[in-house]
Amino acid sequence: MTTASNAKVAGLPPELGPSRLQLWLRAISFQLRKNPLITLGILIVLGWFLVSLFAPLVATAEPLAQNVTNRLLTPGTTVELSDGSSFTYHMGTDELGRDIFSRVVYGGRITIPAGLAVIIIGSLLGTVIGAIAGYAGGLWDELLMRISELFLAFPTIILALAVTAALGPDLNNAILALVVVWWPTYARLVRSLVLEIKSQEFVEAARSIGASNRYILFRTILPNAIAPAIVLATLDIGNAILTFAGLSFLGLGAEPSSPEWGRMVAIGIDFFDQWWMWLYPGLAIASLVMAFNFIGDGLRDVADPRTRNG
Amino acid sequence: MAFHIYFLRRLLFVVPLLFGITIMAFLIANAVPADPVTANLPQNALNDENLVQAFREKWGLDQPLHVQYLTYIGNLLQGDMGRSIKTGRPVIDDIKQFLPATMELATLSIVIGLFLGVGVGIISAVYRNSLIDYVSRIFSLIGVSFPVFVLALIGLAVLYAQLGIVAGPGRLGFRTADPPLVTGFFTVDALLAGDLKTFQEAFSHIILPAFILGSYVAGTIARVTRSSLLEVLGMDYMRTARAKGLGERRVLWHGVRNALIPVVTIIGLSYGNLLAGTVLTESIFAWPGIGRYMFRASTSQDFPAIMGVSMLIAIIYIVVNFVVDMLYFFLDPRIRGEGR
Repeated sequence: MTTASNAKVAGLPPELGPSRLQLWLRAISFQLRKNPLITLGILIVLGWFLVSLFAPLVATAEPLAQNVTNRLLTPGTTVELSDGSSFTYHMGTDELGRDIFSRVVYGGRITIPAGLAVIIIGSLLGTVIGAIAGYAGGLWDELLMRISELFLAFPTIILALAVTAALGPDLNNAILALVVVWWPTYARLVRSLVLEIKSQEFVEAARSIGASNRYILFRTILPNAIAPAIVLATLDIGNAILTFAGLSFLGLGAEPSSPEWGRMVAIGIDFFDQWWMWLYPGLAIASLVMAFNFIGDGLRDVADPRTRNG
Repeated sequence: MAFHIYFLRRLLFVVPLLFGITIMAFLIANAVPADPVTANLPQNALNDENLVQAFREKWGLDQPLHVQYLTYIGNLLQGDMGRSIKTGRPVIDDIKQFLPATMELATLSIVIGLFLGVGVGIISAVYRNSLIDYVSRIFSLIGVSFPVFVLALIGLAVLYAQLGIVAGPGRLGFRTADPPLVTGFFTVDALLAGDLKTFQEAFSHIILPAFILGSYVAGTIARVTRSSLLEVLGMDYMRTARAKGLGERRVLWHGVRNALIPVVTIIGLSYGNLLAGTVLTESIFAWPGIGRYMFRASTSQDFPAIMGVSMLIAIIYIVVNFVVDMLYFFLDPRIRGEGR
């Protein structure tokens, strides 16, 4: 019954059954219905995407504009402007009189692309390295896997700290440092998948009709290894954002004046009693990471049948 | 398989890894665009031609890279990690001074994380899909989503500034003298000296950072405990235990004992997270450990210190995981049967 309706949708002859991708999509849509947290996560992430995209419209002030007369105002303070109109600081102001609300709104423009860049570049690099190791085997496999082990021997932020310190504190260097830290997990995952798939009959079939190594690896093996890597990537985005925020918090990410959330929290520490200076950017990081974790946790259930049925 | 064969086989993996780490630390340190001489020597020493020459010779800077590496390893084996630019002291001395504070914090954190995580995990699995299961899963998801530094600030604001339940940053109050040095763990040393007042103070300082770091690893431990116990609960031998008339509590104990085997692995991995977490936590709690030392070093391009600490942390991480592997031998009978 299911196979028939599926075949109709995909235009496949019924005896072929659903493809791997279709099975995944089906499992995901099932999880969506079963686990409302995934939907909540998607909504929050979408919300942050939109807020960041339309930051100039959402923000009530310039994120970098200073106003020394209005330093350290409590959230909700309304001030009279010189032209007679009034202005409300929804989340208060910082030590330079900048509007925290607008800074938090703009912050997503730094953190979201940074987190995504780390995951996308890191997973692509890892996938290519893992695919080569798994497909070539032998000495290459041994060498690449030993190297990846080395990278995994350092706890994430320690290695990232060392690399950023070596490259110099800068937004792009922080992203680069995190990519250096991130690729090995993907390399190892993809390698193990490639090893498994490489021995299957359809790969043998492709080889028998004279397909080149590159064709076999990229057209027949990798498409079947990509889904688990994507799940891992989704699970990982929250982590990447957290680590990036940690680097920025330590002063090794975005430049000091920029409205980056981790940086804002770090500045807020010196103004501990002005809790709004560190709490709002902190909650911004937490809500975004939480949303990604909700999605990732649901996807993990798809990937791991042991937890699927509880 | 006999224990010593297992031990040696695992050791065979560890030794090249340790060497690799020194290579990596060396390469990162050499990727610095700055001249190591100007980076490592203080300004007044730079004017002294003899000092500069001596420094170059000691670290073999006039030699090709692979010779430099061998010199570096030679110095390392003698416990010489170079001199910190920031503190002006040998890195190894700094580490000796700061490491106990971190170890004390990390140890208490892992104990808290273990109790919290295993407890929550067992309850979640036994009352699976109940309200308590959902609540604890959602809470642990939310918990791991907060940056450790934000949790620390919230904890300080509420528990220290508002309620005054715990003490603030640092290991002890300003007026209290350090307990006589035995282990370097202030709580233990205070107890050894029979000084209850200092113990109380040290404990009140350590409990908040330890709890925050601990709850951080508890989330992961809880998740692993839950899924591992769920798997075990469905096994035939559990049904057998029930069928032969064991009480529900004894049956559960049967399961928990086996379910905890994967949890041991996670402790090893969590230890790495903890050590990483200390970099952020220690800088907020003014905790004088290697995390804070590493943070200060990395913001001031203090390379000997950065390399020393990251190497040390990587080594601790590898050793802890090696010990976990060894524990596995005793916990999991399948490993012992492997060679037969």
